[in-house]
Amino acid sequence: MKGIEEQIRATSSQLLATGDVQMVIGYGAGSDNTKTMPVFIKRAEDVGKLVFNPLCVSNLANYLLQWKNFEGKIAIVVKGCDSRSIIRLLQDKQIEREKIIVLGVSCPGQLKSGQAEAKIPADAVVSEAAVDNSGFKLQTSGGLITFSLDEGLLEKCRQCESSRPVISDHLFGEKGFEADKADLQFNDVAALEGAPLEEKSSYWDKYFERCLRCYACRNSCPACSCRECVFDMVEPDWVAKTVNLSDNSAFHLIRAFHVAGRCTDCGECERVCPADIPLRTLNRKIIKDIKELFGAPMPGSDLEALPALSFYAVNDPESQN
Amino acid sequence: MSDFQNPILPRMAFITNIIDETSDTKTFKVEFEGGGKGDFLHEPGQCAMLSIPGVGEAMISVTSSPTFKDFLEFTIKRVGRLTNIIHQLEVGDQIGIRGPYGNNFPYKLLEGKDILFIAGGFALAPLRSLINYVLDDEHRKDYGKVDIIYGARSVDDLCFKRELFENWPKKQDTQIYVTIDRAEEGWDGHVAFVPTYLEELQPSPENKYALTCGPPIMIKFVLQNLQKLGYQDDHVITTLEMRMKCGIGKCGRCNIGSKYVCLDGPVFFLDQLKQLPQEY
Amino acid sequence: MAVYKKISKDNLVQFLQELTKDRILIAPVREHDLVSFSPAADAGQVDFTFQNSFVPPKSWFFPQTEQIFSFRIENGKYELSEPSLPGGTVLFGVRPCDLKSILALDPVFDGKFDDNYYSDRRKNTIIIGLGCQSVGRGCFCFKVGGGPLESNGADIFLTPAGGDFLAEGVTDQGTDLINKQSRFFSDSSAEQVDKEKREGTDRLLKQPTGLKGDFNLPKLKAFLDANYEIPYWEELSYRCLGCGICTYLCPTCHCFDINDYARTGLEGERIRCWDSCQFKDFTLMAGGHNPRPSKKERVRNRFMHKFKYHEDRYSIFGCVGCGRCVQKCPVNIDPRKIILDLQEVAGNE
Repeated sequence: MKGIEEQIRATSSQLLATGDVQMVIGYGAGSDNTKTMPVFIKRAEDVGKLVFNPLCVSNLANYLLQWKNFEGKIAIVVKGCDSRSIIRLLQDKQIEREKIIVLGVSCPGQLKSGQAEAKIPADAVVSEAAVDNSGFKLQTSGGLITFSLDEGLLEKCRQCESSRPVISDHLFGEKGFEADKADLQFNDVAALEGAPLEEKSSYWDKYFERCLRCYACRNSCPACSCRECVFDMVEPDWVAKTVNLSDNSAFHLIRAFHVAGRCTDCGECERVCPADIPLRTLNRKIIKDIKELFGAPMPGSDLEALPALSFYAVNDPESQN
Repeated sequence: MSDFQNPILPRMAFITNIIDETSDTKTFKVEFEGGGKGDFLHEPGQCAMLSIPGVGEAMISVTSSPTFKDFLEFTIKRVGRLTNIIHQLEVGDQIGIRGPYGNNFPYKLLEGKDILFIAGGFALAPLRSLINYVLDDEHRKDYGKVDIIYGARSVDDLCFKRELFENWPKKQDTQIYVTIDRAEEGWDGHVAFVPTYLEELQPSPENKYALTCGPPIMIKFVLQNLQKLGYQDDHVITTLEMRMKCGIGKCGRCNIGSKYVCLDGPVFFLDQLKQLPQEY
Repeated sequence: MAVYKKISKDNLVQFLQELTKDRILIAPVREHDLVSFSPAADAGQVDFTFQNSFVPPKSWFFPQTEQIFSFRIENGKYELSEPSLPGGTVLFGVRPCDLKSILALDPVFDGKFDDNYYSDRRKNTIIIGLGCQSVGRGCFCFKVGGGPLESNGADIFLTPAGGDFLAEGVTDQGTDLINKQSRFFSDSSAEQVDKEKREGTDRLLKQPTGLKGDFNLPKLKAFLDANYEIPYWEELSYRCLGCGICTYLCPTCHCFDINDYARTGLEGERIRCWDSCQFKDFTLMAGGHNPRPSKKERVRNRFMHKFKYHEDRYSIFGCVGCGRCVQKCPVNIDPRKIILDLQEVAGNE
């Protein structure tokens, strides 16, 4: 992936040097060799801080909301999955097309952080990473470390519909991860849907019960663009601040429905959740429903297609009865 | 406070009188069951947590002087959900109280000194406890000249009108200067913003402490003008307001640097304030 | 009088089971892959393999959601009633970093206004500390004045030794308990415990860690004392999400909110819940003014609180190096890195 990294740096350097953009939002090396972090580069001489490797799991699109009023143009590094957020934000007029430059990466797949932590010694220096059909290969100061796709590949990557960005001004990387058709069928959701009611209920209860209400899922979500959030409001207090199964469930269900049609399954909520709540499953259930009810594609996959919940058609299912 | 008391559990008291100060501000006279202040013994400048169970709590300064032996008074402006509901209470209704909290005005240090009070609008409320303490017959002799410069947007926005126009001017060596922001019919008093009036009056800093309370923008210019008049930072005193929940230094939200306003404030000397981060 | 004993793993479980006869046992329990301090009626549920718990043990003394009082209106008058608090408790399995965190929390909840809810639990709880068997990726207790086998803060401290544990009665209360239940223990000595701890610490600290560089906390504190406005905080805050992970998982963070809930108006309750200084509304006042309006002020406040404010107020640093925020921050805001960065900024001045 060194090639991609070098291309990102070169393009960023040029964009900053020519004044085409005033900031590049990308990935930088983290404080631990299994982590990366968002970086905000404003000077061409700092582009060396940009990295790209299989640990760039996070979706940076949310920062475009934070920098909405930035004076100037922003270039942002997105993987295929993240690029859907860009489209969805453009469709909602949250960001202006002419104010961003999309540095798209055809993503070969990302590594599960738990696996990375288990196998990469804390003091190892990772010099190069490659991903292909056989898995991940990391060249480190302590030797080669490999992960088969089965053990290392993130679930969201396995189910990836668009490893090649759906929108980009500069495209890096030759070929993204190609998902098995069977993995694109929402079988995970279908399996849970088929379970008895009590089982589904206890499945979610056990997770919602341990929610800390830290709001990391909300704060990292590119679909969460409200200026004032119902969960912060004191008057009226729509959802109590009390942390218990009932209020936590209300929080998650309201949130899931609120991002319905805007959630692009970037998986950021699930990635950031400190309690490991399988939030993607919740959101994917709604994506699957919208797909089945309205024949709509994955939100954010087509700039020209009107979002299913944002317009009305006479043959919409809700007008049939 | 004794070890056996739960410091965040309010005690219920009764409202025994309500005075409409302005269109959005009322003063509530409060007594505990059976009359009196119970063991709520505050010093001028201290605050209390007032609450309505089921609605919420807020930190309010005790506006009555400790020299008022049989009751407490709280002057409350309608600004949010709780204060809206408190404004709907009637005489005989209950209200929760806990406290007193925070430090107090240094009334011992002020003995023998002249005192200049400068307040704007609703913010005369926290100073009132000290004013009435100093002007109390028992204490008046302990203090020098008292000047009060007080202004509000309009006549309606002036609080404590009876004391302002009747009681305080009758006290020995006491001058009251009242001003409103814009001229209005029926008002033949002074018209100016408080900082401007201060500049016009030019009170000498000689043997004097200045205590000021008001909206941030007023405070900003009052402090500038006091400095111009030669007041030293350790002779200027003000009070701060921050969002509070516990009032006892535990909930963590009213800190300015290492200081908790609920414990170490609300009263600060200007030189202390200048040592703190500008996060208030 | 301190006491030094040895206890096998099996006996330890039986010892804990014995304690449940007249006390609540709160211990690390693994549920769906997360280890939390939970009530364990059966000591067999206790997890011994955990690196550290997901939520720190502060949640026992200071639960995330706690009733302050309930009320009802009867004959036009409010009747307030306080909740009953748990009685005798054993809090088992507290790691050395978290032991120290409890010592950092005590002066917050104690003091002029003693917080009953915390203090009652604290007084009724015997704490059994458990030394570490490995050093996690985010761990840095040993860089902030602690160590993986430090017993300070425990009543009884257990040092893992082979498959067994060396037990110290650190406080009189702990010693009494060991003496009372002496049948579960065999003899050891101060020398043996000391030796095991020294060697164990050496062994643990040889484990590879990522971030290199030494901390100089007094120097850092002096720098923070003198420097409030530095560009560093704003740059750091760019990536902060403003979520509550770091504060909720921090063993010394103690901020809370108080809210009232009443469904009927005739009865209801006042509740306190953890709150976070990273939330944008944390300091928002009723009139709309916010003294910490942007992430810059909020991120700075959290870090200043750990390494300056807490020290200023209570003479103990507010960071014990447990590494939870290091591990769980979604955007890699790592206090170890912040310390090193600030030391560099300080050095360049």
